[in-house]
Amino acid sequence: MAHNDGKDAPVKVTLETINQMQADGVIGKYAIGGAVGATLYLEPAATLDVDIFVTLPAAPDSLLLSLEPIYDYLKARGGTVKDEHIVIGGWPVQFLPPSNDLEREAVTESVATDVEGVTTWVMSAEHLVAIALRTGRSKDHIRILQFIEQKAVDRDELQSILERHGLSSKWLQFESKYLAGTHE
Amino acid sequence: MSKQEMRKRLASLSFSEKIQILEKLRDRSLAFAATGPRKKTTAGGRKKADKGSKE
Repeated sequence: MAHNDGKDAPVKVTLETINQMQADGVIGKYAIGGAVGATLYLEPAATLDVDIFVTLPAAPDSLLLSLEPIYDYLKARGGTVKDEHIVIGGWPVQFLPPSNDLEREAVTESVATDVEGVTTWVMSAEHLVAIALRTGRSKDHIRILQFIEQKAVDRDELQSILERHGLSSKWLQFESKYLAGTHE
Repeated sequence: MSKQEMRKRLASLSFSEKIQILEKLRDRSLAFAATGPRKKTTAGGRKKADKGSKE
């Protein structure tokens, strides 16, 4: 892993390292979520970390999934642990195993994209919105509104995801609270 | 250029270009954080100065 003092902080280095970790079989499929994922579809918004949703190969003798192999792999290559993040290439990364069907689907159906020649995967706009709705913090609601205002989501596809994952009533609440009268 | 147009323009950039902007925004956030909150001595100093001028 390229060592970086944080001044350059290229996400490219971070992604190359994660891709190598995937090629080495430490992780399975992954997808960028959160604010960095949303940046694929929206204007960039300040964020301090990268959320990576990652599928993990289960240890043969355990039903539990552990992030330890990821941490061990990255620490051996210069990564440093900082709270719930591990700093790779100057960027704190939080690895999140999908905790429900929606997040698993978001990883499976993620979109391949490119950062300075490095291939990576980002959750679809519709999955990002559905996850933000489920998470439900103020900043998540703001992000959903950005997606809607910028017409960055396929509304039919979003409805389909919301129905599939039992989020339709939550969406109706969100619509009546934030979108009533906006014709969005 | 209106704010809305600027947002559309930024949204239409490539992911690589947006990531570069993210990195600059992050650097700026970290720089602000390193500077720390504004010291209150300025306001206190002004009060003292105001008080002094009345005397």
